[in-house]
Amino acid sequence: MSSPLRTPQSSSANLSPDQPRGNPDVRLSVEQASYVYAPNPSQAPLFTLEALSFQAKAGEIVAILGPNASGKSTLLKLISGALEPLSGHVFLNGFATHALAPKIRAQRIALVQQESRLLFPSHVSEFVLQGRHAHGRGLRFESEDDITIAKNALAQVGALHLIDRWMDKISGGEKQRVILARALAQQPILLLLDEPTLHLDIGAQVDLLDSLRRLAAENRYTVLVVTHELNLTGEYADQVVLLQKGKCLRVGSPASVFQRDLLEHVFQAPLSVEMTSSGRPRVTLFSNK
Amino acid sequence: MPGLTSHFVARVLVVCASLLLFCSAGMAAQTNTSGSPVPSPIHEVTDGYGRTVRVPVHPSRIVSLAPSLTETLYALGVEDRLVGDTDYCDYPPDAQKKPKVGGVVNPNLEQIAALHPDLILLSKEGNLLETVRALDSLGIPTYATDARTIDQIISSTQKLADVLNVPEAGKTLAADLQQRLEALQVKLGGVPPRRVLFIVWPEPLMSVGKGTYIADAIRRAGAVSIVDSNQDWPQVSLEEVARLQPEFLVFATSHGGSGEHDFEALANRAGWQILDAVRNHRFAVVSDAIVRPAPRIVSVIEDLAHQLHPDVFPEKLGGEKDTAPANAPVPSPLPAKPMASRFLASPCPLESPCAR
Amino acid sequence: MRPLTLGRLFLRCGILAIILFFVVVIALKLGAVQVSLYGLGRDLIRVLLHQSSGISTDYGMIVVDIRLPRILLAIVVGASLSVAGTSFQALLRNPLADPYVLGISSGAAVGSILALMIESQFSLSPEFSGLITPFGAFIGAAVTIAAVYFLGRREGQIDSSTLLLGGIITASFLSAVIMFLMSTLAAGNLRGASYWMMGSLSSLPPTSLLYFLGIGFLVAAGAIYTTASDLNLLLAGEKEAMHLGVDVPRVRMVVYLAASILTGLAVSVSGAIGYVGLLVPHAMRMIFGSDHRMLLPASALGGAIALVIADTLARTVVAPSELPVGAVTALVGAPFFIYLLRRRLS
Repeated sequence: MSSPLRTPQSSSANLSPDQPRGNPDVRLSVEQASYVYAPNPSQAPLFTLEALSFQAKAGEIVAILGPNASGKSTLLKLISGALEPLSGHVFLNGFATHALAPKIRAQRIALVQQESRLLFPSHVSEFVLQGRHAHGRGLRFESEDDITIAKNALAQVGALHLIDRWMDKISGGEKQRVILARALAQQPILLLLDEPTLHLDIGAQVDLLDSLRRLAAENRYTVLVVTHELNLTGEYADQVVLLQKGKCLRVGSPASVFQRDLLEHVFQAPLSVEMTSSGRPRVTLFSNK
Repeated sequence: MPGLTSHFVARVLVVCASLLLFCSAGMAAQTNTSGSPVPSPIHEVTDGYGRTVRVPVHPSRIVSLAPSLTETLYALGVEDRLVGDTDYCDYPPDAQKKPKVGGVVNPNLEQIAALHPDLILLSKEGNLLETVRALDSLGIPTYATDARTIDQIISSTQKLADVLNVPEAGKTLAADLQQRLEALQVKLGGVPPRRVLFIVWPEPLMSVGKGTYIADAIRRAGAVSIVDSNQDWPQVSLEEVARLQPEFLVFATSHGGSGEHDFEALANRAGWQILDAVRNHRFAVVSDAIVRPAPRIVSVIEDLAHQLHPDVFPEKLGGEKDTAPANAPVPSPLPAKPMASRFLASPCPLESPCAR
Repeated sequence: MRPLTLGRLFLRCGILAIILFFVVVIALKLGAVQVSLYGLGRDLIRVLLHQSSGISTDYGMIVVDIRLPRILLAIVVGASLSVAGTSFQALLRNPLADPYVLGISSGAAVGSILALMIESQFSLSPEFSGLITPFGAFIGAAVTIAAVYFLGRREGQIDSSTLLLGGIITASFLSAVIMFLMSTLAAGNLRGASYWMMGSLSSLPPTSLLYFLGIGFLVAAGAIYTTASDLNLLLAGEKEAMHLGVDVPRVRMVVYLAASILTGLAVSVSGAIGYVGLLVPHAMRMIFGSDHRMLLPASALGGAIALVIADTLARTVVAPSELPVGAVTALVGAPFFIYLLRRRLS
């Protein structure tokens, strides 16, 4: 259970009633999953995420793209298992994510959120070791393996030099890397990131996406990134899920999704799309005159 | 995997350590070392709580945890057997020289134990049940008195004298007190009782309930308290008192003196001029012995009767008793003292809430 | 890198336990009556060897019957309140939380007042009445725990801010009930209630009660300790904790119930002793950090040490009188609290 590579056969406790099914290459399968937010059943729903489907493989980077209030965070919660789909399913290696016990789920899915609000000052090493919590019994003390894995995780994001610092004394970009390291320490198979580039400098943004691409390739992660950054998506994503107002408008490679009419309609801004020599689309925005 | 075994070991060690700790604690707590053999004979009596207690026939090392009981011991002449009393035991003045064991509600158990008493006296009204229980668990004999009326004060004094092995002194004292009260009744027979307000504390205005011995003392003095409450220390409103218009205000003070200053302070309070008794200067001041259920309370009753019925008792009370001169509607020539010190002089009964 | 290992945990707890031992020895020696160290040691050994009849009554009664039970009570109550305080600070994600913030002490006070009323109506014998007040207080605490639990739920689970609000409202309501009861009922035995509410360790509880408290502490504190790693993660944020593998609803429920039971037990016997549950966790955090696997046992031992010291001061500073131990903890605790606040702000 502590090896970095994960195959379906090494998963323990089968908690979903379903048997693993479908194409063995497909790791994440969203099948007609939908959700509705309503304060109580009798009132009109506040927000609806309509049924959508897509699949993702190991080593793939998927971008969930759309403007604000398009349902990206809701979709992420469905995939992470925090919410149960109103209809349809979300399967990770054949197991429904919501049905998994929190500990098993944390062994497979890691979520990187933006700001971490710490109540009491925390050490970077303690923080990253939190990622190992899912891999042991209830009350445990960290083993040598845990420490090694945590150090590796920090090394993989280039933050090993921060290991003896305090969380409230490092910069925003450094904190972001440490948070990512904690997620990596979980040794997940699915890595979810919610608007990770929001508070980063441009250079840091590129660094992050480069790291993600490298990690996805090396460790065979499936990476899902929620974002509204068009060019980063175009450059780094293998697959794009385009959302607008709770509806999935298109799923496919960036080249197929980045059509000018479609993007202008979704983002309500004049733009133009051109293809680069590497086959990646690049978007240019104009002013609204 | 190291995590598993250290978890298990931790559990085992914690359980072992705690078992060890609590075994020794249990052994320690269970020892009752008070088994100092009491050579003197013991008998059983029933005390104020209705329990049957085993006390020495002739207690020779007595600790009193109530000022009223200390006074009673002196009145019965057994003060040489008193080895300790509370900080508040101030009458007679000799009692202040006895070793002190702390307060009435929070006496120091260690001090009590260090005096090696063979009997501890408590009062049901003044002391806490918890203290009784703690002393019981230490194995020290305790005896509690219970007195809610003047008759009960006299009878409990006599019972206490029996317990202390001075039955003759008890009979004599009880007879004397009874006789004085009867004489008072004879003199007061037929005279309509004065309607009075007994002031325990002016702000908030607190008086005494009808079930207290203070109210009973007032009755014996030819008066009746206008406050008719079941609580022991009811809080009353000035409006209600104004509606009832008592003939006299009665209050207690610990120093001798005319009480004129205390009255002035009261009269100067906002709204009190509404009372006839204030405007007409009709007040009686008695010694603070009225709040102690001890033999001295009979002297206070006599004093109060004299003040409230000057026509029946033209002669002044003299002698060694605590007295206050009969009030006269003469304005005091002395400057009024600041209000705050006024009722510092008038002590708060230990049993009442204002002593908290 | 310095992760917490079992060895380090035992070493630190061992040091604290040794400090506690010395504090207990000093506490046994000090008091209104002088006791020599030699006599003390000799008698304690006799007690452990079950030869208590050999102890001279001079020391015997004072040390073994009066001081030792009181010190043991201080240890259990101090440990209970500190562990409860640490747990509530983690559960409510609020560094100002103390064991009484959810109204448990007010509920226990109401229970004890009602018990005193019943007892005065029926004139029970003193032996029985010794148990009725703690029992009534515990019932009052238990009812309050249940009520606040139901008030503090949102969508069927305990929610930290809703719990805090529900607890504060309940505490205010119960305080009003207490004022009402105390002003309208016959004041006689209720005097005891007001002393109780100031907090006091002088009640010399029967041995059975001490055993019960000790076992209750071990069970409840043990239950909380199994969630120590989870609490570390909970402090990072509830959503994050869930994604890191914590079963948040279950942990909240276990910690709430166990910490409330610890508080209820402590308060039933000794009244509402303040500042211990609030400040000992902070002091231990300053020394050992906020890893709950270390912090919880450290708080237990630290709380025991603190309360034994406070109780010793309470009964020696104005001997032969006694200060209520709640007054001592407040007098020492308030300046320390101000110091902590300033440290946080700087």
